[in-house]
Amino acid sequence: MLGKCFFIICLISCVSAGINGNIGALSSAILNGAGRGVTLSLSMLGMMCLWCGIIEVLRQIGAVRFLSRLMRPLLSRLFPSAFESGEGDEEIVAATAANMLGIANAATPFALSAMEKLDRINPDPERASDDMVTLAVLGTSSINLLPTTVITLRHAAGSVSPYCIIIPVWICSVFCTGFAMLLCRLTCHEKKVRSEGKPAGKMRTNKINDRHKSGERSGQSHD
Amino acid sequence: MTEFISSLIIPAVILAVGAVMFRRADAFEWFVRGARDGMKTTVSIIPTMTALMVALSMFSASGAADLIVKYLSGVCSAVGIPSEILPLAVTRPISGSAASSAFAELLDSVGPDSIAGLCASVIMGSSDTLIYVIALYFGKTRVKKAGRAFLIASLSALLCLFLSSLLVRIFFS
Repeated sequence: MLGKCFFIICLISCVSAGINGNIGALSSAILNGAGRGVTLSLSMLGMMCLWCGIIEVLRQIGAVRFLSRLMRPLLSRLFPSAFESGEGDEEIVAATAANMLGIANAATPFALSAMEKLDRINPDPERASDDMVTLAVLGTSSINLLPTTVITLRHAAGSVSPYCIIIPVWICSVFCTGFAMLLCRLTCHEKKVRSEGKPAGKMRTNKINDRHKSGERSGQSHD
Repeated sequence: MTEFISSLIIPAVILAVGAVMFRRADAFEWFVRGARDGMKTTVSIIPTMTALMVALSMFSASGAADLIVKYLSGVCSAVGIPSEILPLAVTRPISGSAASSAFAELLDSVGPDSIAGLCASVIMGSSDTLIYVIALYFGKTRVKKAGRAFLIASLSALLCLFLSSLLVRIFFS
């Protein structure tokens, strides 16, 4: 994927440099670019260390668990099959919480194991179930509480207020994620089957089981 | 006002973490371990960043970037987004490190506090790589097609593009 992108960008650059007649600038850009790849990574290094350290402390004192508990009611509406069957609900909540804290390394394994479980309960294995679509979309547009990479790169570029974008970022990501979730619910194909074939009594037992389960869970660590 | 609140958030987090370190003896160890992992991750992306920065500096030095900005600025201003953010808008869904490189390149050329720089910052903060995440997630299942997920995620990314320019205008001008 990246290899193809690399080639296409290089090809376009060489052609347009030929047309514009600045091959000389192109050669020096190659040398500068290689150096800048390293200086950029190094200028991010300090902030990334600080940030990953902070995140680790927050994780150890249970920030993921705390956020998970907060978001459980909302997510149970977005992932009806997973939460009704109890297959993968735990992982979905943990993945979303980790994503919000910006711990992608922790979020991905949770999300992948949730996908495996959703695959197990998918009635039509060829076709993506509604919950799978929702989870994948949520993974691409998840709300990031602290956009540290952006702040670091803004700081590296000499911004007078690197932090000033936090609130617009929150608003933007809440709206985009909300929009994406709305589209997921609108296009869902399993809706009808579920609302027909489910007696009220069964739902209640599920809820009790759920509460019971989450009681057990609160004792154990998500990581 | 928003700038003031935004500038309080990070110190508040640092203070909270400091308080944890004061109360829990092993909290500093956790911090060091996390920081070490962060360092490893950052160093491990240097080769990728180098390749992508080379490609992107070639792209802007060759005049191709200016060409795109010139030809698409009419279209972009019609829908209300600065045309300078196009390289970022294109790379954001494809790859995280390519987007970081495009973002850094863009901040350097237009300035981090210009309207285009702020728009790019909001886009960078509120969207994520799309193709890789969906392919990775569905790779764990037996599902053959993930068209619906791609479509919804792309629409959401487009909305992010427009909304970010709108929000930057509301907040910073």
